[in-house]
Amino acid sequence: MRKLLSVLLALCLLGTLLVPFAVAEEKPEPITLTAFRGDPGDQPYEDNKIYKKIEEEFGITFEWEFLAGDLDETLGLKLQDMDDLPDLFDGGNSAETLIDAGALINLLDYVNPEDTPNLWAHIEPQKNRIITKDEVTGEDVMYIIPNYGLGEGEQIVNSVNGPAFFIQKQVLAWAGYPEIHTLDEYFDLIEKFIAENPTNADGVPYVGFDILCEGWRHFCLINPVQHLMGRPNDGEVLVDVTKDDYPTETFINQPYAKAYYKKLNEEFKKGIISPDTFVMSYDQYIAQLSSGTVLGMFDQTWDFGDATNALLTDKKYENTYVALGLVYDEDDVAAEDMPEGWTIEEHYVNGSLPNLDRGFGISVSCECPERIVAMWERMLDYDWQMLFNWGVEGEDYSVVDGRLTMTEEQYANTQDIEWQRHNKARAFFESSPKRQGYIMDGEFAGQCWEPGNQDEIVFGLMNDYDKDFLSHYGYSKFGDFVNPPIELAPYGEAWQIDKADIQKDYDDYLRIQDEQLPSIIMAADDAEFDAKWDAFVTEITPSADIYANFMHEQILKLVDAYYGEDAE
Amino acid sequence: MTNYTQGTARYASPKKKGFFSRLAGQWQLALMSVPIFLYVLLFNYAPMWGWINAFKDYGNRKLVARGITPFNGLDNFKWLFSRPDFFVAIRNTLAMSVINLVFGTVSAIILAVLLNEVRQKTFKKTVQTVTYLPHFLSMVIIVAMAQNIFASNGPVNDLLGLLGIQPVFWLGEGKYFWWLVGLINVWKEVGWGTIIYISAMTSIDPSLYEAASIDGAGRFQRILHVTLPGIKSTFVILLIMNIGHLMEAGFEIQYLLGNGLTAAYSRTIDIFVLEYGTQNMDFGVATAAGIFKSVVAIILLVGANFISKRLGEETLV
Repeated sequence: MRKLLSVLLALCLLGTLLVPFAVAEEKPEPITLTAFRGDPGDQPYEDNKIYKKIEEEFGITFEWEFLAGDLDETLGLKLQDMDDLPDLFDGGNSAETLIDAGALINLLDYVNPEDTPNLWAHIEPQKNRIITKDEVTGEDVMYIIPNYGLGEGEQIVNSVNGPAFFIQKQVLAWAGYPEIHTLDEYFDLIEKFIAENPTNADGVPYVGFDILCEGWRHFCLINPVQHLMGRPNDGEVLVDVTKDDYPTETFINQPYAKAYYKKLNEEFKKGIISPDTFVMSYDQYIAQLSSGTVLGMFDQTWDFGDATNALLTDKKYENTYVALGLVYDEDDVAAEDMPEGWTIEEHYVNGSLPNLDRGFGISVSCECPERIVAMWERMLDYDWQMLFNWGVEGEDYSVVDGRLTMTEEQYANTQDIEWQRHNKARAFFESSPKRQGYIMDGEFAGQCWEPGNQDEIVFGLMNDYDKDFLSHYGYSKFGDFVNPPIELAPYGEAWQIDKADIQKDYDDYLRIQDEQLPSIIMAADDAEFDAKWDAFVTEITPSADIYANFMHEQILKLVDAYYGEDAE
Repeated sequence: MTNYTQGTARYASPKKKGFFSRLAGQWQLALMSVPIFLYVLLFNYAPMWGWINAFKDYGNRKLVARGITPFNGLDNFKWLFSRPDFFVAIRNTLAMSVINLVFGTVSAIILAVLLNEVRQKTFKKTVQTVTYLPHFLSMVIIVAMAQNIFASNGPVNDLLGLLGIQPVFWLGEGKYFWWLVGLINVWKEVGWGTIIYISAMTSIDPSLYEAASIDGAGRFQRILHVTLPGIKSTFVILLIMNIGHLMEAGFEIQYLLGNGLTAAYSRTIDIFVLEYGTQNMDFGVATAAGIFKSVVAIILLVGANFISKRLGEETLV
């Protein structure tokens, strides 16, 4: 009897011991992850339906922290305490700092073809860019899985999302929808428009052309020349990708750059460019664009999204912008001023580029990296991707004749911040690996992962002004104003290269441009312009040379890395 | 003779007492100053250990992340002094400090004297409140206002236009920058600055004013001979303290109001440190510039104090 009892008791005890394991199989232990995003954002509400589903399936909840204040300062402060970093750490535009500081774990310890087939398949086509070698140990490393740019299927170019010369739609409409391809055509059009329409309907004078110079957004001032030369965005260098050794030079101190700034100088003297543009803050710039009085500028589409949204909200469709791919005309630059063997062909849109080192990394202080990776792995499955991108069927989208579609109201909801806080896992999804481009198989093959790219939404929900505008050109989308994407160079886009090794010279190089280019553009006459330009070239060349050499070395390294493994 | 000896003995005796017995005699006071002593030790002296960073190489943040920060002697200082723009930054800092100091002090004293003469209480209080409120506004707001006011189509240029003067590019020309900063600082701080002078004036004995009146002094003579001498000691103390702060011309206003065009006039030492040091995590250069600033500030302070002493005025130390 006694024996039986003790056996029973032992079995019971054993049972209780086993219970947690059994449960663990079913439902993972609940855990709260701290997450930081290097961008401003909004806290999701408690009742957010997507985060609820994440909690149900993975047992994971998030404690969000969004950037408030200066990014570099905030990161610097967080890095002071390496034992208490956010588990999911998105360093925004300065994620290199996190990597350089050793704050992130090497994801390759968890990501491999066997354990995480989804993630591996996701990065595989671009793995030579994403996986790099540690400078010291030489081991393969991947700290961040790019949050964007790993699209499937053919690249979708419905519109230009990067750099371009922009012009208000009403200016093109006023001139009878001309095709604009060169600097001269562009500025002629603006001049003529302003001559006939000096002010808008409210009597506010039009500004011909804005040049934003503030802080890191100074690319509006210093970047255009490479595009006029026919290259997509390589930052501040011009790379000849047609040659095997990728000759790399800074363009700003070359004779062919002078033509652009000379043109700006002429437009300044004609009053098309106002001096205020050089002292404007970003907020003032956005306010001015939002008022619909700026006819043109060089910028990148994402950089003035707030202004576009404001114009759309006010239904000022004619004041929104078209991206034009301008290039130098033959007589803009003398043949002897061109780099050797250079021909100009417009290429504003580049092949799709993984957003390297952008998105969530897992910090060294995170206690459960394997669970996060497992979650990402599972989330790349079809059902989760649909949930993140489209939402819940019947509620957020519907299927009509086998096509994924949203009503106007449903799509408007997805753009509404308040709605997002209840119904979208925006902060999490934006920084996590995701599938983009076309759905490659299954019921909806050939349709788009992202609602914003789906034809039913791009064209179905387009406003009448835009439809009419495009019909005059015979285009179906705004991406048709520029050439189709060029093949991405093996090194990617050169602006992504980390300049920490030559930081001080790079700072000098940028500083000289910030300080002198505006005053060159404002030169009173040709003699002053030439004198200032020559002084500028002399002053900038030492740091420019250091920078160009450094970039050339890095580009060659990246090219080797890209071809390296394939050659083996 | 006896008395004398006794006297000497009486005065000399405390000196014979040791440091500790004297301390024991004042233990209450000593106890009260302990927290202050600890505070200064912890927050003012302990961080000086960080000065060691000025002699280390933080130039490449990749190496810094791996903990590789070798000592590099005086290289950080050499780098600083090899930069022409560091000297430009020193010039800008000093120029704007002096302008701020002169404008700020003169305007505060003038306003304080005027307010002191006003007998209508409500009016006096209203003016005081209105003038010191801007002190509580963030510099971001003030600069945004200034950018609109001084824009090429802003109210200032509109006003000049009425007088037939061509619009001036206030915000884009270096030569105006220092004076704009001075002007904005006066607008923001003048009311705040008057507070201490007004309180100094209230402590002037009213009988001095009465005596001056009886002697036939008019309002201006009373100001000149009673009010101003009455606040002289306050003025001198504040001046000496401010001279110690000459190397701090402010950071926010120059950072916000400056731009590429005016950079040669707006870059102060603090901005230089931010651009070349903190932003790139080059703490070596940043600390070196900080040490340089402190050393200059100490020299200025001691110098001002010495001159003040020679002139027979109040001293701080």
